[in-house]
Amino acid sequence: MEGRPTDGELFSRAQRGNEAAYEEIVRRYQDVAFRTAYVITGSAADAEDAAQEGFVKAYRALATFRTGAEPRPWLLRIVANEARNRARSAGRRHQLELRLAERFRPGDAAPSPEAAAMASEDRSRLLGFVNALSQEDRDVIASRFFLELNGEETAAALGIPEGTVKSRLSRALSRLRLRVEEGARA
Amino acid sequence: MPEIAELEQRLAGLRPDLEWPRTPDLAARVRARIASPGVVRRSWFQSRWALAAAALLVLLAALVAYTPSREAIANWLNLHTIITRVNQLPSPSPRPSGSIGERLGLGVQTTLDDARGKVTWKIRVPASLGNPDEVYFQSGPPQGEVSLVYRSRPGLKESGQTGVAVLITEVNGKVDANFFGKMLGPDSTLEEVTVNGHKGYWISGKPHAFFFTDAAGNFRDETLRLATNTLIFDDNGTIVRIEGDLTKAQALEIATSLS
Repeated sequence: MEGRPTDGELFSRAQRGNEAAYEEIVRRYQDVAFRTAYVITGSAADAEDAAQEGFVKAYRALATFRTGAEPRPWLLRIVANEARNRARSAGRRHQLELRLAERFRPGDAAPSPEAAAMASEDRSRLLGFVNALSQEDRDVIASRFFLELNGEETAAALGIPEGTVKSRLSRALSRLRLRVEEGARA
Repeated sequence: MPEIAELEQRLAGLRPDLEWPRTPDLAARVRARIASPGVVRRSWFQSRWALAAAALLVLLAALVAYTPSREAIANWLNLHTIITRVNQLPSPSPRPSGSIGERLGLGVQTTLDDARGKVTWKIRVPASLGNPDEVYFQSGPPQGEVSLVYRSRPGLKESGQTGVAVLITEVNGKVDANFFGKMLGPDSTLEEVTVNGHKGYWISGKPHAFFFTDAAGNFRDETLRLATNTLIFDDNGTIVRIEGDLTKAQALEIATSLS
């Protein structure tokens, strides 16, 4: 089977002005870029604008992309920066509204209706606590657990040094644990 | 109280069932944007900084000429600067509306004496201009960076681009790394010059893009701004940038009077 081009190949083609190669790069990264922007802005419309503008900016800045570098952090940094600018200039703090699509996944052991209802309620509550965290806490938790970004990518998405990610995550988790605990007592 | 590890597990368990808003088809739209630059979505104009940026956009639109292709025209480790030629400049990052230091990303305001205490190298001041009106320091580059700001004076007007008449930035570059990048559109010219026997470059014409790079040499998007005419040269290990709406002769005069 003819392999599809690697990211590195696509980047060097795009750097030579090949627009189709860049389109393919955007296709590969648009999901994670859009979702990262959504976590930051809390608005699908703003996330769409930020991701689109970010990808266009990144194209213009392709000359500065270093051969062999990881594309994900490079792209996420530019898109997330756009998203933060939008969130800031909108002057409002969005409430993040991530929801769960409850569906029966093939291969799951069929739970009893009561157990299923309970598990679903627990999960929704946990997500509700995450949604209600401060933006800083929410962003780092969503980056690591929902977007599955690694340390470098999380740092790029949040615009912070990589060394700060771990401590910020640990503080956010402690605060979330407190919320969960308080919620259980209430 | 749930253990952190258990909490992490529960959070990761939510992932497969998260309902994200549908990702729009950005690939096609971005392709259309890069193929026909200058087409700006309406929503872009709704943001607060758009009005200020609109003037720049007109300028940028004038730089748009032909199918994008780029050519690295210079990459001098001794000047710690990557210079690339592009057919369209990226849009500049929105700047806070505060002080000159904030707008131009110069760091913290300080005094010449304070700045001298913070760096291990000699800060050069041009005799032709005298002491600067404002001084800024930032610690981005390993040995720090010092900026001297001169407001208008006879024969030197404030630049519409930067809001200052002359901006002199000095950084000591003992480490082989890139700190800065410059992107030149088709209407900017780059010329080799000699300043006091040192190799340098004179960039003039339409504004060009200036940005900082991080330690790994990656583009730091948030620092991108448009720069006006600039003389850049290496003075015995100190990289000096002189920026302003200056003629080449004016810039060279300032450069040769540095001591």
